[in-house]
Amino acid sequence: MSPTRNIDFTTLTMKDALDLAILIEEEAYDRYSELADQLTQHDTPDAAHFFRLMMANEEKHRAALADRRDAMFASAACGMTRAMIFDVEAPDYDEVRAFMTLRQALETALRAEQKAHAFFVAALERITDPTVRTLFEELAAEEVLHQDLVRRELAKAPPDPAIATEEFADEPTGE
Amino acid sequence: MNLVAKDFKSDLKPIWCPGCGDFGVLQAIYRALAAIGRPPHEIAFISGIGCSSRIPGYTTAYGFNSVHGRALPIAQGLKLARPELLVLAAGGDGDGFSIGGGHVPHAVRRNDDLTYIVMDNQTYGLTKGQLSPTSPLGLRTVTSTYGSLEHPVNPLLYVLAYGAGFVAQGTPADIAGLTEMIEAAIRYPGFAFVNVQSPCVTYGEEHQQIKAHKATMKALADLGHDPTSRAQALEHAHAYGRELLTGIYYQEPDPPPTLGALVRGRQEALASAAKPRAQILDAFVQH
Repeated sequence: MSPTRNIDFTTLTMKDALDLAILIEEEAYDRYSELADQLTQHDTPDAAHFFRLMMANEEKHRAALADRRDAMFASAACGMTRAMIFDVEAPDYDEVRAFMTLRQALETALRAEQKAHAFFVAALERITDPTVRTLFEELAAEEVLHQDLVRRELAKAPPDPAIATEEFADEPTGE
Repeated sequence: MNLVAKDFKSDLKPIWCPGCGDFGVLQAIYRALAAIGRPPHEIAFISGIGCSSRIPGYTTAYGFNSVHGRALPIAQGLKLARPELLVLAAGGDGDGFSIGGGHVPHAVRRNDDLTYIVMDNQTYGLTKGQLSPTSPLGLRTVTSTYGSLEHPVNPLLYVLAYGAGFVAQGTPADIAGLTEMIEAAIRYPGFAFVNVQSPCVTYGEEHQQIKAHKATMKALADLGHDPTSRAQALEHAHAYGRELLTGIYYQEPDPPPTLGALVRGRQEALASAAKPRAQILDAFVQH
């Protein structure tokens, strides 16, 4: 399933490309926020805390892109909407579980960064505008840097317990 | 009115299991309501009992988390009494097709202007994973240790066969698509049904999860489906449980009048012959 709809990458302009990149960061921010709330609600504080750090990262990236967009196109109307993208950099809803470990949360973020990298690389095959190509190459390279950051954190994270939490923890209660 | 999804999000934090499919359904509902553009105080959200029936509380619309299986009767009563409200009903597959199963055909045939969203996870998740009416044959649960011997209800065939004017199926694996179909259902002037394959992360099977949906789902539009053909809709509905076909199965091209419109029409037709309120009792008094 394609993570974008109604976007023609062959004719994508720099303004639309920046708007798209901003929306991707916004979507990731919102998803990490939702997932952190879910985990907080279910007593999974380490993973929730890590997802809040990811929110801060996504917001930093969004703000940098928004500054760049403002400098280049000032108040020009945005031609992209959230309905055009889905799960580009945002982790899937079903990535999280109650009592997931910090390591599992890091692995979730790593998969999300890998997914975003794959998206930009695939889009590059269709992009013709040289400035947009440069932007997408830069964004793809940034995703590799983010993956490296997460891998470094993974190397420091404590190993998962020998017994998986679902082996001994009660299921979450609905009421 | 210019509204955004966040205008419909209440302060109450959902307590569904982390990773539950209902989170995505909730997002799609927020977005669809924003696209409709009616303010929260003009919307009423009625549910039954179950995980998914908690959904009214997570919106800023008026909500009633009512009695198990009784979302539709309450929603119909509300719509008749307050026709100006946008009325949504929601619940799970057990609430809708087992405990409340008897209400569905009557809601369909009465054709009130309601949107009924079923979050179909093929299990009773809230009570810890028993067989539900849509559980697949052979499923092992705490109430079917050796595998279910019961054929599942097919919700799509069920409502199509009773004559529903709008029938769709979506998944939180495609929130943009789900948003569009919920919006279309709300705009349909009559009873509209949206079945959402909403995975249970705690008791669901691996092949029922969002990742599996993304890998296997097929859009009806890509199959050349004509949503104005009930015959084609019925044919595609047979794939329920075998294939995940998403989109609008059927949309009546010439919607008949709703029950509310017929009732109001009857009232207007009889109003001129009606006695004044003060004389009504006289009809029962023998002189």
